Amino acid sequence: MKKVFAGVLAAALLMTTAACSEDKSSESTNEKVALTYWSWAPNMDKVVEGWNATHPNIQVTVNKQDGGDPAVAKLLTAIKAGSGAPDVMQAEYQKIPTLVAADAVADIAKEAGDLKAKFPESAWNAVTLGSEAVYGVPQDSGPMMFFYRADIFEKAGVQVPKTWSEYAEAARKIHKANPKQYLGTFSSNDPGWFAGLAQQAGASWWGVQGESWTVAVNDAATKKVADYWGGLVQEGVINNKPMYTPEWNAALNDGTQVGWLGAVWGPGVLEGNAASTKGKWKTTLLPNWDAAAPANGNWGGSATSVTSQTKHKAQAAEFVKWLNTDPAAIKALAGTANVYPAANDATSVALTEPPAFFGDQKDFYTIAAEAGKITKPFTYGPNVNVAYSAYNDAFGKAAEGRKAAAFGAALDTIQQATVGDLKNAGFTVAG
Amino acid sequence: MASTSRRRAGAPYLFLTPALVLFAAFLAAPIGYAVYLSLRRVRVSGLGLGKGARTEVWAGLTNYARSLTDPEFVPSVLRVGAYGLIVVPVMLGLALVLALLLDAGRTRVGTFTRTAIFLPYAVPAVIASLLWGFLYLPRVSPIVDVLGGVGITAPDALSSSWVLYAVANIAIWGGTGFNMIVLYTALRAIPTDLFEAARIDGASDIQIALRIKVPVIGPSLVMTFLFSLIATLQVFAEPMTLRPLSNTISTTWTPLMKVYRDAFVRNDIYAAAATSVIIAAATFVLSYGFLKLVGSRAFSQEN
Amino acid sequence: MAVTTVPVAAPPAAPAERERPRRRTSPTATVLLLLGAAYCLLPVLWVVIASTKSASELFNTFTFTPSVHLFDNIAFLSDYRDGLYWRWMVNSGIFAGVGAAASTLVSAMAGFALAKYDFRGKALAFNLVLAGVLVPSVILAVPQYLLLAKVGMTNTYWSVLLPSMISPYGIYLCRIFAAATVPNEVLEAARMDGAGDWRAFVRVALPMMRSGLVTVFLFQFVAIWNNYMLPFIMLGDDRLFPVTVGLSGLLNQGATQPAMYTSVVTGALLSIVPLVVLFLTLQRYWRVDLGAGAVKA
Repeated sequence: MKKVFAGVLAAALLMTTAACSEDKSSESTNEKVALTYWSWAPNMDKVVEGWNATHPNIQVTVNKQDGGDPAVAKLLTAIKAGSGAPDVMQAEYQKIPTLVAADAVADIAKEAGDLKAKFPESAWNAVTLGSEAVYGVPQDSGPMMFFYRADIFEKAGVQVPKTWSEYAEAARKIHKANPKQYLGTFSSNDPGWFAGLAQQAGASWWGVQGESWTVAVNDAATKKVADYWGGLVQEGVINNKPMYTPEWNAALNDGTQVGWLGAVWGPGVLEGNAASTKGKWKTTLLPNWDAAAPANGNWGGSATSVTSQTKHKAQAAEFVKWLNTDPAAIKALAGTANVYPAANDATSVALTEPPAFFGDQKDFYTIAAEAGKITKPFTYGPNVNVAYSAYNDAFGKAAEGRKAAAFGAALDTIQQATVGDLKNAGFTVAG
Repeated sequence: MASTSRRRAGAPYLFLTPALVLFAAFLAAPIGYAVYLSLRRVRVSGLGLGKGARTEVWAGLTNYARSLTDPEFVPSVLRVGAYGLIVVPVMLGLALVLALLLDAGRTRVGTFTRTAIFLPYAVPAVIASLLWGFLYLPRVSPIVDVLGGVGITAPDALSSSWVLYAVANIAIWGGTGFNMIVLYTALRAIPTDLFEAARIDGASDIQIALRIKVPVIGPSLVMTFLFSLIATLQVFAEPMTLRPLSNTISTTWTPLMKVYRDAFVRNDIYAAAATSVIIAAATFVLSYGFLKLVGSRAFSQEN
Repeated sequence: MAVTTVPVAAPPAAPAERERPRRRTSPTATVLLLLGAAYCLLPVLWVVIASTKSASELFNTFTFTPSVHLFDNIAFLSDYRDGLYWRWMVNSGIFAGVGAAASTLVSAMAGFALAKYDFRGKALAFNLVLAGVLVPSVILAVPQYLLLAKVGMTNTYWSVLLPSMISPYGIYLCRIFAAATVPNEVLEAARMDGAGDWRAFVRVALPMMRSGLVTVFLFQFVAIWNNYMLPFIMLGDDRLFPVTVGLSGLLNQGATQPAMYTSVVTGALLSIVPLVVLFLTLQRYWRVDLGAGAVKA
């Protein structure tokens, strides 16, 4: 599947590559240029200071953004308008096909040189879309991990779940021991989270067949995941409220949210939201469908891309390359911007100590590396935004209704919306 | 309001120039552009990736057809209708009662309460919704705590049966004070002799309020009604801010939210433009119809 | 739109306003008014108390138990990215102050022309203004952005200031206000003295319209200060943000970052202070009579 994808895209994108390679990338680097970089990672401006200090001719200014969605919305509007886009842009992996489709990001294959070996295959695939083009350099990744309150687990006599059926058992046990406590919540507000869980189960929601796209949001693997969560929500042993609300925060603080299926960047969120629970959490791999064949999904993670509106493509590409491959930069990304750098050598360069919030768990980054290694491939399509907003609406209804059957039906709704949108725009959709 | 012909003929145009230029640039042109966009669409070739894979073409009325046949569109319109039926009467009713109480002058807390009730007008809708969000969520809400303390289990304000009222409450909270001030100003302008005679005849405050004061400030009521109606049709910031807190507010909960979703989430500005034009036309027709309806009775022609 | 309606900002000491004799107080009236005030103050009280709490107290202690961390919170917020919050406040002040002043002047000129002159196209101009009142700003924001981007003006102060300068509602108010407060005879007298149109407007009409203009200014100030959509779309550089956009950014950091609730709550409290001060000091100008003209006619 992936090979077909690669071949087709390579052909489809050849024109872009050819067109872009004629750019004035050879211009002298003595020229003073100012670049803007849209990013939402905290303290990114401090990371960039390291670049500015050593590159007096290429000064980069960081414009802090509200988060992945608003940043992309603004970028696409600026692209449509013909001006107003930054030179460099942080883009979540799932947004890259959308950005490529809108001709918002530039192919920097020539400028960046051969970086393939420096990144995990899944991340590299996400920025190349399997082609020869390079639409960004992987910045950080988000292998999913399971966080749990070790103290409460111990008190309730609950074993750390290794499989999803053990997770369900643990959820029942915890909720029974204290009806206010939940092992987790099904969040209708976090499509990226659910996509990660589906990815772990083996789903890949988009794909390419010849000249057409395929959409498989309601395939068997995703159905299995949806039915599983629908069952737990109907049973009432898993909460049905969205994450990232004041209420969720309160639950993290007062210990009624006993576990969280998060990702490697989770410690920052937990620390920011529930600093007082420091030392009580532990992390492990996500529960598995098949204990014999452990797998994982991805939630979050982003690349740094050069936009198609930049007038200084070569310099921008140089910066992007530095930011994500230079040891000092990787160190700053991990230590100052609190992200989990995508580069392979991040673990040896920067991630030698566990995050402060998990200070006792010395093997935190060993687990994270393992989680990254077993992450399954997943292909994103050109209208992830449509599928994700349909997820909000469809699963909002399903979660509110607490009926297991509605969860599977919600997937059909998303599938319909996604296929309908592609067809409406004139894409050919197979199947 | 006769004007003098001796004045220079060009003068009014010069006075109007800044307004007209700004109007043309920031109202007329964007509306025109929105209409244009609503008739366009993107055509994708192949896999839709890379330069030149997308071209903009004429779409005729298909964007309008898509908007109107979207299964979420009619429910969102009906929802806004129901929302308006709650917000407008409750908000104006409260504003009128409070204004009449203030105007009756039979309290020593007039200045304090007037200021307090006007205060929410200073709070941006985005921030107001955030504050109310905290007060709605059962686990962090003091209201739920207090009610729980006296043995009442408060309903979840953001559950499907209550969410409309929860959003309406924010609008009522934010708008009552402003409308109260408008009505209070009108009440203060009523000459005393209009109701002193009635008072001497033994009419109660309530009778005076209902029979004399309310009819006299009728035009003000009509105008507050109209402006509240327009604001109602444009409800956006409140549900938008509350949406991530609940399962019950969809991305197309109101028509303007659909515009936002199409433009910024789906990157389909053509569909967004079409829905915008429909909303603008509907607002216009409703307001115009309302003015026609009440115009002959409530208004004296000014010119 | 043949029906004209007549909102008027009543002058602070309008002769029509009556002096009230002090009357016997009514407990019912007092209780009802206090209930209304309590309803309106509840969320404000919440934000005041919440902003005194540290991050962990915010979710751990009973809502209406105050704490002692207000100044810590303010200090933390002030430190956030070298005082960015205060820059947002200054930006809001610039957008609202300059925007409202310009908008008031533009509206006063247009309103004066519409009220005091007969000219071809007058009805058309006025109906355009009325129609403009009805257009939701959310709808305008996107095409405004696309058009401004074509002339390269997005992400500047101008991109927010210029669209804020046109206020159909302000023109509408000013027109009625000029009609109600500036007698034709006075203008005629000015003309007899040899004053031109502009001079008559500046020296005679503007002073007479003064209190109404203050009201229009306040209206616009609040509208621009509270505006979210326009600056959100127009601005990419967060050093240009007004406080509404900045605060909502602190709240919506995306899934991988925790929301900065404590800072948002403290920032929300501080952001309403300037408007509250504006209310209290200019209270006598908050008198908007949307129907006075009709009563007078």
